[in-house]
Amino acid sequence: MKTIPPPCPHPETGPKYWRSLDEVAETPEFRDWLAREFPAGASEFEDGVSRRNFVKIMASSFALAGVGLTGCRRPYEHIVPFSRMPEGYVHGNANYYATAMPTRTSAIPLVVKSHEGRPIKVEGNSDHPDSNGGTNAWAQASILNLYDVDRAKRFARGGSTISREAAVAQLAAVGQRHAQNQGQGLAFLIEPKNSPSRQRVQEFIANKFPQAKWFSYDPVDCDVHQKAASRATGRSVRPYFKFEEAAVIVSLDCDFIGAEEENTRYINGFSKGRKIEKPTDKMNRLYVVEPLLSLTGMNSDHRLRVAGSQVANVAVQLAQAVLNNGQAEDKWIAECAKDLAANRGKVLVVAGHRQPLAVHVLAYAINQALGAIGTTVLFHQAPELREASIADLGIALNGGQVQTLVITGGNPAYSAPVNLNWAATVGKAQEVVRLGYYEDETFKGSSLHIPEAHYLEAWSDARTMDGTYVPVQPLIAPLYGGLSEIEVLAAIGGAPIQKGHDIVKDTFRTLAGTQSENDWKQFLHDGFWKGTAAQPVNAQVSQDVVNQALQAGRPAAPSAQNLELALFRSYNVDDGRYANNGWLQEMPDPVTKITWENVIMVSKKTANDLGFQDSEFMFGTHELRQKDYPRGVPTATVSVGGQQITAPIWLTPGLADNVVGLALGYGRTEVGRIGKGLDGKGVGANAYLLRTSENPYFVPGAKVARVANVKPAEISCVQHHWNMEGRPIVREANYDQYVANPNFAKSLDLESPKDSQGNPVVASIYPNPLEREKNNPRIPHQWGMSIDLNSCVACQACVIACQSENNIPIVGKEQVYRQREMHWLRIDRYFAGNMENPQTAYQPMLCQHCEAAPCENVCPVNATVHDEEGLNLMVYNRCVGTRYCSNNCPYKVRRFNFFDYHKRTAKELDGPFYTTPVLKKTDGEWDLNKWVKNPDRHWRDDEEWELLKLAKNPEVTVRMRGVMEKCTFCLQRIEAAKIAQKVKAGASDEVAVPDGTIKTACQQACPADAIVFGNTKDPNSRVSKLKALDRNYAVLDYLYTRPRLTYLAKVRNPNKAMPDYTEYPATTEEYRVSMMADPKGNPFAPHGAHDGAHGTNGHGAAVESHGTHAPAGKGGAH
Amino acid sequence: MGHSVSAVTTIPVAAAPVELEREPLVANRRSIGWISDQIAAVAEGKTPWWWWFAFIPSVLLLITCFTLIAYLISAGTGVWGLTHPVMWGWAIINFVWWIGIGHAGTLISAILFLLRQKWRTGVNRAAEAMTIFAVMCAGIYPLIHVGRVWLGWWLFPIPVSQGIWPQFRSPLMWDVFAVSTYFTVSLLFWYMGLIPDLAVMRDRAKTKIRKFAYGLFALGWTGSNRHWSNYEKAYLILAGLSTPLVLSVHSIVSLDFAVSQLPGWHTTIFPPYFVAGAVFSGFGMVLTLLIPLRTVCGLQDLITERHIDLMCKVTLATGTIVGYAYAMEFFIAWYSGNPYERFAFVNRAFGPYGWGYWWMISCNVITPQFFWFRSIRRNVLIVWILSIFVNIGMWFERFVIVMTLHRDFLPSSWGFYAPTWVDIWTYIGTFGLFFTMFLLFMRFLPIIAIAEVKAITPQADPHHPLGGASKVGGHH
Repeated sequence: MKTIPPPCPHPETGPKYWRSLDEVAETPEFRDWLAREFPAGASEFEDGVSRRNFVKIMASSFALAGVGLTGCRRPYEHIVPFSRMPEGYVHGNANYYATAMPTRTSAIPLVVKSHEGRPIKVEGNSDHPDSNGGTNAWAQASILNLYDVDRAKRFARGGSTISREAAVAQLAAVGQRHAQNQGQGLAFLIEPKNSPSRQRVQEFIANKFPQAKWFSYDPVDCDVHQKAASRATGRSVRPYFKFEEAAVIVSLDCDFIGAEEENTRYINGFSKGRKIEKPTDKMNRLYVVEPLLSLTGMNSDHRLRVAGSQVANVAVQLAQAVLNNGQAEDKWIAECAKDLAANRGKVLVVAGHRQPLAVHVLAYAINQALGAIGTTVLFHQAPELREASIADLGIALNGGQVQTLVITGGNPAYSAPVNLNWAATVGKAQEVVRLGYYEDETFKGSSLHIPEAHYLEAWSDARTMDGTYVPVQPLIAPLYGGLSEIEVLAAIGGAPIQKGHDIVKDTFRTLAGTQSENDWKQFLHDGFWKGTAAQPVNAQVSQDVVNQALQAGRPAAPSAQNLELALFRSYNVDDGRYANNGWLQEMPDPVTKITWENVIMVSKKTANDLGFQDSEFMFGTHELRQKDYPRGVPTATVSVGGQQITAPIWLTPGLADNVVGLALGYGRTEVGRIGKGLDGKGVGANAYLLRTSENPYFVPGAKVARVANVKPAEISCVQHHWNMEGRPIVREANYDQYVANPNFAKSLDLESPKDSQGNPVVASIYPNPLEREKNNPRIPHQWGMSIDLNSCVACQACVIACQSENNIPIVGKEQVYRQREMHWLRIDRYFAGNMENPQTAYQPMLCQHCEAAPCENVCPVNATVHDEEGLNLMVYNRCVGTRYCSNNCPYKVRRFNFFDYHKRTAKELDGPFYTTPVLKKTDGEWDLNKWVKNPDRHWRDDEEWELLKLAKNPEVTVRMRGVMEKCTFCLQRIEAAKIAQKVKAGASDEVAVPDGTIKTACQQACPADAIVFGNTKDPNSRVSKLKALDRNYAVLDYLYTRPRLTYLAKVRNPNKAMPDYTEYPATTEEYRVSMMADPKGNPFAPHGAHDGAHGTNGHGAAVESHGTHAPAGKGGAH
Repeated sequence: MGHSVSAVTTIPVAAAPVELEREPLVANRRSIGWISDQIAAVAEGKTPWWWWFAFIPSVLLLITCFTLIAYLISAGTGVWGLTHPVMWGWAIINFVWWIGIGHAGTLISAILFLLRQKWRTGVNRAAEAMTIFAVMCAGIYPLIHVGRVWLGWWLFPIPVSQGIWPQFRSPLMWDVFAVSTYFTVSLLFWYMGLIPDLAVMRDRAKTKIRKFAYGLFALGWTGSNRHWSNYEKAYLILAGLSTPLVLSVHSIVSLDFAVSQLPGWHTTIFPPYFVAGAVFSGFGMVLTLLIPLRTVCGLQDLITERHIDLMCKVTLATGTIVGYAYAMEFFIAWYSGNPYERFAFVNRAFGPYGWGYWWMISCNVITPQFFWFRSIRRNVLIVWILSIFVNIGMWFERFVIVMTLHRDFLPSSWGFYAPTWVDIWTYIGTFGLFFTMFLLFMRFLPIIAIAEVKAITPQADPHHPLGGASKVGGHH
């Protein structure tokens, strides 16, 4: 963006010319006009985020040292760094600030890394008493929203730009107007939030405008947990689930790993119960009842698929069975109830946010009956939820009771229930003031639109689920001058304190009961205020409420003629708020592995009933394994009532029959360039069109019909083959087998010739230079990683964390369709067993940092080499792009820049006719010419380009086209830690980085603590200890690549009494069939014991002498 | 130099007994003068209509090829169908295919020379030219297939300020040397053999420009004893040098695959089987080219049915070796007991690209079996059609090998590959390069080694009744 020159000074001598009459008059309008070359608000950004101006914007981080910057953005607030308090600002050193990301019900405590004043990476705050430092994919990706070029940048009245001052003045005017009649006709539509400051501002307004009405709406209503707990106990409480304390967990359609708002905490607790180090360790057991296959269902030990509306039936039966000592008609429910009863006090039954209150109440009843209240379920005092629903707002609007509607959150024009007919309804208000992050669907009907500040730009606060008070402190002045919610509310209310910072500080002082400036600084530094965790209240579930729930009427089960549409919160775009976030759009859905789209999901039987043949679906399930090359899938319509949407139909294993799954959040119409998609019509289909206030999640009476005569829809799915083909890649055993043979994972190694000492006689033809380095005292580190497949829940926070840390570009739908996605870390997902209700296995797959790396010796230019600490390095500058390394990588974890993915826009990445700069002219100049002048030439518009650059991590090279890239184990973090340690060591030789200092981005983000990185040379390091566990194994061990990344095998914990119990995990069954000479043999019988006894001929040919023992013989090897 | 063409035919010949007579390599007892005239005429006469008819489309395709290469380099490798996990697609298929075709020439000129196979003289010049042009087509691909073409020179061991040396453990590095050496030696060998013939062209030239140009490249050849003596020695040395190259270049190309550890690639049978396959495809291409050529240029007496018969036999032999190798690969995959290896081969035949495998088997194993029959070997039209199938089959062989990439160790990374329009038209475009070069070669250089063919005529044999240089139609 160019800098607008100041107006010409008048010549001091000579004749004095004027350019217009206005100039002579020197009116303010004229001055304003002069300042803005383009009147329609185009220059609102001024010189935006050019480097020069950026120095101004980053004011807030300079302020840490108490230095205010000159210029219009002088910060008045002081921000205190989290961990290191630098003497002064050191250029190039990142600073870390504690903050938090507000969620619907609480906040995720964060530490955000800031480089030269720009936040570049979000990390969890592990100091927070209720956080291990884990985050989720949404939190990781939220930073991209900050640099979103399509966010709302201007204050607009009736669609045309006004100045910020004018807008703020209008807010005050709204307040003043309604002050006369005590707020009569004033209505607020807010989003659920757990912010004490907002609550205070709300209270202030409520006092001042007692007649004002408050409504709250979020398409994903997570307040139901509080409502249910309050209903059940008769007190205003919020439940606090302690998964870590539970031995048996039953989820009643509660996707606590994926779709529940507190998933970070829940994953953490759940995975604690699955971490086993020795056979005597106990692990928890998870039963899931659900209509669609969710992340939680994928992690279950037993899973019952029923339609969403029928979960209530199961809940009733389960509750009755628990209360009647395991008596139930259905064996699944009966045995589940028995298992629950057997684990009194250590059970946890949770109901999902999509389920009606009755199901929640029943869950509390079971918990109470089994003594879980107080151990796994705690109740915390919570402020009452007084806001009315959006349906009530509809009534109020239609009744003419609302003159002014203030919308401070959400996008109701897009997401409101369709029966509300929002566009017409909202038109009944005379004035709609809206605070919005985007100029989206709701923008159109707003008379005043205020750009919302990102949570990293504005002050706020929150309580985390355990009640701890956390600050939401900004790291950067609002890029586009936006306001926060509390500022808008304060302005309307005419509050004495109007600045966000002051409001939050005031709240802090009130809550913490301190006036001390140091306490405030401590609060900001730590990212929470100690000792504010809530105390559990003693609440009992009322029997009356339970009886009501047991007797509540239940909807009829869906049938082939009367399908049930199950709507769910998207793992990617949430309720649609992240529709313009490229990282999330390109993050594969953890269940379907589809990107950039939502699909109509049906089970195989339902698909067949609807007239779709298995052969029409493109990718391989167990039965369809020969069909996994793309031909596209059929398109179908889903209609409910008069509404209809069209989307590709996708056969998904594990769905309940007669249920149709569809993710919310897609099909946005007024959205930025990412969300618009390649065709400009918006990514995916808008499920809100089928959603009513009565049936927000499970819509009965849905019809699915094929759309005839259309081309098969091309789906950008990142994993085409769903079956592990029996290969021992994800190794798993049932708990009993683990206890019997803790070493089971290694017994699945492909048998290989051994010498008399049991060492493999097959060796690499090249010496392993690391053998020398491993004993070299000069080299204190040998890096390695361990991933516990038993803790990993496939939530994909690591995928986005890696993307954010390592400047990984998005490539767009068309390129993903061509399998060119760039994720360095992917989660492989395999289905096994019965396709109707499969078992799922998944595995984070990233560069294994093989010691004998197959990629290295095939690179003709030495672009990928080993360092002496065992890292497989990728030298981008040296790479010429032969791609041989990728071909030779057994794990296929290398990624190639087929295009300049950073420079090209989505449109430029839509094939098969890609643009070339040689044939392109922009702004009257050949692109080639521009490129010659500036090789950093890009295809994007300048503003987008500048913002894109700001979002990058300066410590990681941005790769150009034609080079290969892959996981580096976050080399930049390793080096930073080593340097810091060397500085600390001074003249001493204490240069070994202490264990736990370095956390890779994926490890840091992992809420399950499944990923551990560290120094394998140190036998006491955590990673060394994990690698010494029995369950440790290397993928594709037989290749002798000797990966530095090893996995801890998965252990399932099924209940033998259950009807769906199988002796072996389904993948192991497949292994027996496809990898073993004797498909009935025991795959876990130790093999190799005999190898040592057979001399030095080194050939494991002596297997047959072991007769029936059949030690995992590999067919023809003998 | 005046002589009479008809004079030769009038000389009475005391023929050897029929049962001892081999079929002559120059049919119809053509005289030495006729040979010169007939071969030189292709380059000297008026440009025939069919030449233009072939040349113009070839040039258009050549332009297409280079335009698409420019597009590729300016836009990025992504314009090709390459993808994860198939990082090598048509570029490498075509590279290996063209290199394979380039095998016959040097084999014919070097190995057959050392083995005193006199029939080689009828076909070696054109086959060598074919080799050179095929290697040129092949050589384009390794260069343009890399992601950063402008840094391709890093593959050469050039001392640069970075101080980084290429990686000599990489087969791609070996490729650089193997292919460039092969090209250089083939070119030299071809040029060496051309020198006496260039002198003939010079001596026959009617325009000053032609005289100068041929004279320049004839390097002052006078046909003196000393020239001949030096020439024969140099030719023998070059033949000796080329012989190992024939074996090395394609074995090294095969190591591109065999050195990797992918199931289906990592096999020791690759080097011999690639060489056999290359000879097979090379002879296939020689047949495809020379059969129409001998007709349109009236060279049936120099490239006789016996030549075609012999080449068919080589094709049959090498094709059968290739077939054996296919069978052996399968056997070893089963015998190894390695389930990954087994899967790779079963998947080749019955996986998503199984159709490619069966094309390969039909063309490479079944097609040459027709050459057991003399009647087929002698039927020029059928041989020509079958030779085209050999070319197609060998393309599919490389397709099958490269497509092995689509399903390797982890089923999660299994994928698919399809060429884009750029892949397809670049490949077709290389035919433009090939045929443009070949057609130019035809128009400007003797397409059969004049001097060498003469040397195997009965007239050149002092012991033959027709022999002796003193006779009419002798030395030129």
